[in-house]
Amino acid sequence: MGDSLTECMEIFSQDGVQLKTAQASFVNYLNLVGTLYITEYANSNCRRCLEWKPNDVTVDSDVQDQEWAVVNTVQKRSRTYSESLPPDSTIKPKLLKVNFVDIKSFKTSNKNRQLTLFDGKSEIMCCFMFQHGNCDYLITVLRGMLKTIPAKRDKHLFIVIHDESLEAAQLDKSFAELNIFQDPPPTLWKLVKSFHDRPYETTLETFAKVTDYVYRSPEQRDIDDDQRELLHRSLTEYASSHSQGDYEVIAKVPELPERKDYPRGRPLSAEQWKNLQNHEGKIEDVEQIKLMIFRGGVAPNLRYEVWKYLLDYFPWNSTQAERQKLLCEKNDEYYNMKLQWKRMTKVQEDNFSDYRERKNLIEKDVNRTDRTMDFYAGDNNPNLQLLYDILMTYIMYNFDLGYVQGMSDLLSPILHLLKNEVDAFWCFVGFMNKISSNFDIDQAGMKEQLQNLHTLLGFIEPQLVNYLDKHDSGNMFFCFRWLLVWFKRELSYDDVMRLWEVLWTGLPCENFHLLVCVAILETEKQALMENNYGFTEILKHINDLCGKLDVAAVLVKAEGIFHQIKEAEHLTDNIRMILGLPLVGVQQCPEEILSTSPDSPDEDLYERVYDSMQHVMT
Amino acid sequence: MAKTYDYLFKLLLIGDSGVGKTCVLFRFSEDAFNTTFISTIGIDFKIRTIDLDGKKIKLQIWDTAGQERFRTITTAYYRGAMGIMLVYDITNEKSFENIKNWIRNIEENASADVEKMLLGNKCELEEKRQVSKERGEQLAIEYGIKFIETSAKASIRVEEAFFTLARDIKAKMEKKLEASNPPKGGHQLKATEPQRKPTNWLSRCTLL
Repeated sequence: MGDSLTECMEIFSQDGVQLKTAQASFVNYLNLVGTLYITEYANSNCRRCLEWKPNDVTVDSDVQDQEWAVVNTVQKRSRTYSESLPPDSTIKPKLLKVNFVDIKSFKTSNKNRQLTLFDGKSEIMCCFMFQHGNCDYLITVLRGMLKTIPAKRDKHLFIVIHDESLEAAQLDKSFAELNIFQDPPPTLWKLVKSFHDRPYETTLETFAKVTDYVYRSPEQRDIDDDQRELLHRSLTEYASSHSQGDYEVIAKVPELPERKDYPRGRPLSAEQWKNLQNHEGKIEDVEQIKLMIFRGGVAPNLRYEVWKYLLDYFPWNSTQAERQKLLCEKNDEYYNMKLQWKRMTKVQEDNFSDYRERKNLIEKDVNRTDRTMDFYAGDNNPNLQLLYDILMTYIMYNFDLGYVQGMSDLLSPILHLLKNEVDAFWCFVGFMNKISSNFDIDQAGMKEQLQNLHTLLGFIEPQLVNYLDKHDSGNMFFCFRWLLVWFKRELSYDDVMRLWEVLWTGLPCENFHLLVCVAILETEKQALMENNYGFTEILKHINDLCGKLDVAAVLVKAEGIFHQIKEAEHLTDNIRMILGLPLVGVQQCPEEILSTSPDSPDEDLYERVYDSMQHVMT
Repeated sequence: MAKTYDYLFKLLLIGDSGVGKTCVLFRFSEDAFNTTFISTIGIDFKIRTIDLDGKKIKLQIWDTAGQERFRTITTAYYRGAMGIMLVYDITNEKSFENIKNWIRNIEENASADVEKMLLGNKCELEEKRQVSKERGEQLAIEYGIKFIETSAKASIRVEEAFFTLARDIKAKMEKKLEASNPPKGGHQLKATEPQRKPTNWLSRCTLL
C-alpha cells in the first residue's frame, strides 16, 4: 500500500437519505435516495467528512443491516481509497463529500426530517431528506464532533465554530513529535488520536479495556505483551504530558449525583379513589391520582375502574353521566366494526389476502396466549373467542397496523381483568395508542428504543455499555422482548399489571420504561461482566431473568436513576430529549419555556406534585 | 476449564409463524411436548450435546420469531449459523409456499455454505394434510437439500433430523479441515464464525 492510500473508518451511517439540494455537478442525483455516512480518514488533513452515496440499484438486501445500526460500535471496516484518482470520474455511482471543516452551519427543518448544510456564505451546500424518520440522532452525533452553538434566533440552526483549528494543528504536531512508538501500529495511533479527539469517551473505553483485561483469566487475555506495554506507555506518557491546563478533563470522569431511594407507596385504594371524585363523579386532581398510581399502583379490586382512565377510555374529567353516554356510543361503534368482518363472505375473504394473513396470525396466536391461566385454559374456552373477536375487530379499527405478534399478550391481561368485550377492546386501543410504534412495519420504533436504551445505559453505566459494545451486543437486541410487550413475558400476571399501570401514568418522565431496563441491566452488570459473557451468553442470561425480577425493587431503582440523571451536571440534550426533559442547549427566554412546556407536562407535573404528596403518602 | 465437547455447531430454526419451530426444538432439547405453547418473541436458543461418531457435538439451536415484521431483528442472528432447519407445516399450504422466501432470506443473510435442511412438521395430522410428502421431496431436490417429515407432538423423526444435519456439517467441516491442514492427528478446532460477506460499498471499494 502506497502513501496515497488512506485508511478510512465509517463512524456513522444512515440509510434512506434523499438528496434534495446540491451543487450543479450533482444535478443528476437530486431526489435519489442513498446513504449518508460520517467517515474518518486517518492520515488526511480533512479528517472527518460527511459523505452521501446514492443507492446502488444492484445492491442486495444486505444493506438492511446498515439501515440504522451506528453508534459507538466503531465499524472497523477499513477500506483503501486512492486520493490520486479523480474520484468523480472513476467511482460510480458518485460520492458527495463534504469536509467537516467546510461546514459553517447546519439547520434542521420539516420536523427534523430535513438537514441543510451551509458553507457560511448563506449558500446551501447540500440538503438531505430523511425518509425513515428524523435526523435527531445525526444532529447529536454532529454536535458531538463539531463545536457548535445554537443560533439565538432559530433553535434549529447550529453555528459551527472552527476557531481551534490552529490549536489542533499544533497539537497534532506535538503528537507527531512525541514519537511514542517507533513504528506505531495503526490501532495504537488511533488510540492516541482518539484521546485527542474524544478525551472523555476514550478514557472510559480504555479503562474498560483494562477492566476487561483484569476480569479475564490469563489464558483468555488476548492482548499480547508488547501491545500491553505500548498501551500502558501511551496511557501514562500521555497523561503525564497533558495533566495540566485545558486537558485536565481527561483525568476527571464526570460523576453522577448520589442515588437516593424513593420507596414505593401503597396502592391507590377504593376509599382514596372515591374521595378524589366530586359529587358528579369527576376526578378533580388528576395529577395527584396519577402520582399516587405511579408511587404504588392500583389496588387489584379497583383496577377494573381505574384502568379505563389510565388507558384513555374514560376522560379523567368526565362526569358519571358523560361516561354512561360514552359507553353507549363506544358500544355501538365497536359492534359496527365487528360486523364488518363478521359479515365478510368466503369470496370476499378469498380475494383479500392481507385480511386473510392477519386472520391466520390471530388464529394461531389466540391458541397460544396465556393458556396456562385458568381464564384461558382448556379447549373451547369462550374467553379465547373473546380474545379472537377483539383482535379481529382491532384489524378493522386499524387495518394498516393489523395484527402483530405480541399484541395478544398485551390484550390478555386487560380482557382478563375487565371480562367485557367492548371495554377490553377500547382499553386495548388505548394501550396500543401508547405503544403502537413497537409494531411498526419497519420496526423503526423498536430500533429507536433500543438505541435510546443504549444511550441511557451509557450515561449511567458506561463501563457496561462498553462491555456490551465489545461483545457484539451494542444493538441491545437482547432487550427486544422486554420492550416489545413491556415485560409481559418476564413477569407474573400480577406483577405485569402493576408495572403497566405505573408506566401508563407517564410519570416521572417520557420513556420511563427504558429506565426500568437500565435498572435491571445495572443489577445484572456484575453477572454479565464477571462471567465474561459473550454475545450468546448475554442473550441467554437476559432471557433467563424471566420469572426472577422483583418489580417493586426495579421501580425503586429506576426512579432513583431518573433523579440521578436529571440532576447530573453533565446531562446532555440528547438524554433530555429521550426523557422529555426541557432542553437547555437551546437558549430559551422565560416565555419560550412556558410555551414549550406542553412538551414535557408529565415531568412538570411530577415536580409540582411530588413535594405536596410526600405527606399524603406517609 | 476442560471443554466438554469437541465441536460447537450453531443451528437455526426458521419458517412461518406457527409451524412448530419452538415445539420441534423443545422436543429435541427436552424430549417433551406441551400444548400450551406461547409464540416466540425475539430470539432464544437451547443447547443439547450429542454424540456423533465418537465426537461430542454441542448444538446451539436458535429459535426465531416467524412473523415477517421481526425479520430485521431475527436476521441479525443468522450470522455464524452453520446449519439451518427450514420448517413448514404440512397442514398449511402457505407455510410451504413461503419456504422459497425463507431460502432467499438465507441467501441474503447467512453465509453461503451453510447446511440447509427442509422439515415438514406436524406429520401426525394426516387428516389435515395440505402438502403431500412428494411435494416436500421435490422442493428439497430443487434446492439440493435433505428433507424429513417430522412430528414434534408425536415425537417422529425429530432426533433423526437434527442428527442428520449435524452429521452433514461435521463431514463438511472435516473435509475442509483436511484440505487446509494436512492431518496431524488429534486436532481440535473451534467453530469459527464464517467470514461475513462485504456488506456495503465501502468495503467493496477495496477491489478498485
